[in-house]
Amino acid sequence: MTEPIDGAAAHPSPNYILIWVVLAVLTAGEVAIAFVSHLPQVALILILVGLAIWKAVLVALYYMHLKFEPQRLKIIALAPLPLAVILVVIVLSEHW
Amino acid sequence: MSTVATAHETAAHTHEEIPFLRKYIFSTDHKVIGIQFLFMSLFFLLVGGLLAMAMRWQLAFPANPNAGFEGRPLPGGGLLPETMVAGGVMLPEFYNALVTMHGTIMVFFAIMPLLIGVWANYLIPLQIGAPDMAFPRLNMASFWMAMPAGMMMLASFAVVGGAANAGWTAYAPLSVMPEYSGVHLGQQLWELSLVILGFSSLMGAVNYITTIVNMRAPGMTWFRLPLSTWALFITSILLLLAIPVLAGGLIMQFFDQTIGTGFFKPDDGGQPLLWQHLFWFFGHPEVYILILPAMGFVSDILANGARKPVFGYAAMVWAIVGIGFIGWIVWGHHMFMSGMNPMLGGFFMVTTLMIAVPSAIKTFNWLGTIWGGNIRFHTPFLHAISFVALFVIGGLSGVFVASAPVDIPLHDTYFVVAHIHYVLVGGSLFGIFGAITFWFPKMFGRMMNEPLGKIHWALTFVFFNLTFFPMHMLGSGGMMRRLYDPTQYPHIAQYQDTNIFITYSALLLFASQFIFMFNFFWSLFRGRKASENPWEANSLEWTAPSPPPHGNWGDRKLKVYRGPYEYSAPGASADYLLQTDPAQGVPAPASH
Amino acid sequence: MTIAAAAMDRGTSSFGVYNVKLGMWVFLLSEVMFFTGLIGTYIILRFANPEQFARPGEVLNVPLTAANTFFLICSSVTMVKAYAEIERGNQQGLKRYLVATALIGMLFVGIQGVEYWKLAHEGFVPVAALYKAVGRHAAEAGEAGAVGAAVLGGPLYGTTFYTMTGFHGAHVTIGVLCLWFTVYQAYRGRYSAQNVAGVEAMGLYWHFVDLVWIILFTIVYLI
Repeated sequence: MTEPIDGAAAHPSPNYILIWVVLAVLTAGEVAIAFVSHLPQVALILILVGLAIWKAVLVALYYMHLKFEPQRLKIIALAPLPLAVILVVIVLSEHW
Repeated sequence: MSTVATAHETAAHTHEEIPFLRKYIFSTDHKVIGIQFLFMSLFFLLVGGLLAMAMRWQLAFPANPNAGFEGRPLPGGGLLPETMVAGGVMLPEFYNALVTMHGTIMVFFAIMPLLIGVWANYLIPLQIGAPDMAFPRLNMASFWMAMPAGMMMLASFAVVGGAANAGWTAYAPLSVMPEYSGVHLGQQLWELSLVILGFSSLMGAVNYITTIVNMRAPGMTWFRLPLSTWALFITSILLLLAIPVLAGGLIMQFFDQTIGTGFFKPDDGGQPLLWQHLFWFFGHPEVYILILPAMGFVSDILANGARKPVFGYAAMVWAIVGIGFIGWIVWGHHMFMSGMNPMLGGFFMVTTLMIAVPSAIKTFNWLGTIWGGNIRFHTPFLHAISFVALFVIGGLSGVFVASAPVDIPLHDTYFVVAHIHYVLVGGSLFGIFGAITFWFPKMFGRMMNEPLGKIHWALTFVFFNLTFFPMHMLGSGGMMRRLYDPTQYPHIAQYQDTNIFITYSALLLFASQFIFMFNFFWSLFRGRKASENPWEANSLEWTAPSPPPHGNWGDRKLKVYRGPYEYSAPGASADYLLQTDPAQGVPAPASH
Repeated sequence: MTIAAAAMDRGTSSFGVYNVKLGMWVFLLSEVMFFTGLIGTYIILRFANPEQFARPGEVLNVPLTAANTFFLICSSVTMVKAYAEIERGNQQGLKRYLVATALIGMLFVGIQGVEYWKLAHEGFVPVAALYKAVGRHAAEAGEAGAVGAAVLGGPLYGTTFYTMTGFHGAHVTIGVLCLWFTVYQAYRGRYSAQNVAGVEAMGLYWHFVDLVWIILFTIVYLI
């Protein structure tokens, strides 16, 4: 059991090695799809970015312990994401 | 618990033996750091004002003999090198540098540090009941990054090619092409200086946010925080998320200038408009960073002067949060004339008009605060109520330029100059003067001189309006910004009398500030000794000695029982009630 | 330490997260915005000028960088193991895993440095006027800029690539220096099961650097 020193929930240690294997498999999968696939560009981008986000979420939730932190910390950790999306999408729209 | 107590004692003990250098120069005490920022930023305020005076001289007395304007030599121009002022006549390139540096120094090295470097540092721990910031050494690093950044900015005047001259907004391609601007090193120093200052502000923001979230005294819930602290909290979040985008843009601009990348150069496929988007994505939250803290101070000071609670405290909090939120999606209103997609322009117009709503809520609530109050017209109150009036005027001109079609003739004219100075000087600077006069006794243990304070306020108020109000007319009449010689265009030359009038008013405005300077320094040494709570206010800083010692309250344990605005509470023995006062039988106001 | 310790006794902390951890999280949020500016610029410039960029693998060495990505992920595992060890009070485990993390971090930077060197020799540079990337295969067949070798992409490719990966690499380098400092502190006995703050904060930073690379690798190398 991981006994945290602050408000984080007491939780069983995640299986870090299992997460590592998943990350490795996802990485290999990404590289394979990028080279082998004959999918149209838009689908390719969506799949690859989706896989990358999946990996990033795994790192954030388990390695950075976000899954076991108080709710308020999870919320503020998400705060920059809408801003990032707004900045990129609005400036991209200049070129549509 | 015992470890905390002994650690407290050792801290108090060792403080007596701290050498001068560590106590006053490389201090980690938030109050000392706040005061360091105060002296630094007042200095830069003076420099920024001097630059403006030089600009105004050129605008009033340009040398244009063909149009019948003989001009007058710039006072002190003989001291400057030939690259700046030749034969008493200011060179156009130098004028552009003045315009750029006036804006840059005022925004980044005067107003920002005055609002945040000074007051976030000084007030936050005191108002929440903490002994210091969460990260005191990081706080010290913050100041000692800001100071060299400022020196670097000033030094850029002395390099070959002169200081940056592409405007404080540094639009590409002018800012990335020395062959057009004539400035090489100056622009690069400008970029680096702002990156360093940005990092300093970022470190500060991390400190302020952590401190406010984690270190409030027992009983100090979120909705018992003074509005100064709320405003500084939301401001810190804006800083945290906006500055990195500016830093990225500045770095790209620096690379364009130095190693020959092409981010913003059309020849290499780069996009000048990209710079504008990156800059204003930061730039718009930046202007809320420049006004929100002042709004917070005004709430605290008006309530104190009127001896009444802030009207609609919860609404005031949500208005600050709302301004913080919406402020992220209005940046395109600086770019209506840039050639960007007009659909985007429509979107930004709507969001910009929306943001007037929380600002209006705050304005009405300030009026509600003082309505029917038993008002004490002390100097801080005079500055605070001026803020409300002048910010309203600035806000109204803002509604005009927020409307994209109306912005078409008004963009880049003196109408915008009037707008920004009404909110930044009429708003922020008056808020700053209010804050300095209000918290001076706490900082230095002495009162500032009241009659001098009132004279300074009155002269500043009058000359400020005489200087900036006519600019609305000049702008509507077509006078452009950043214009070296207004008389070169007949449609503007006809208004030259107005320009001369503005210059004289500006010189008098500048001169009036010496009264403040005198008052400030004289009161440091000869002001009447201040008690713990000279304004009979409620928030926690007024329960500490004036000035507070290291650790603020020593071993005393604070407990908060009520909100910060319980003035004239029915059943109380005085017309104020400290937040730490457990007085039984005194009801809390209905709003919360 | 007094004030940090005092913070733990505060009755009104609303996040339940101690100072150093909250401070590091807040700092990382600003870093998200920083990389958004850089990566967003790449996305925007690429969308507007697709002819200035090349298909995956034509210029950049994807297999090598994929391996490098895997190494960085490994270092995240060793980092989180280091933290798990000190949570249990195991000083030896802490030191071992911290050193492993630092070494893998140095490996990552080293490989990236080698990659930069090779790319520059193939004409793939950030300076617009000097850009003449011909890609790995043409470079193996002859010198960069040799007659007949077509230039792949344009100056924006080099400009954005080096800026994004360079700043990421700088963050990794700073992370490595901080890791060695953490190792030094560990050898001085600064950490224990009751005092894990420094290790946890170091871990958060290191995982974040890995997280950014996961995004960056996909967007820059695979799309």
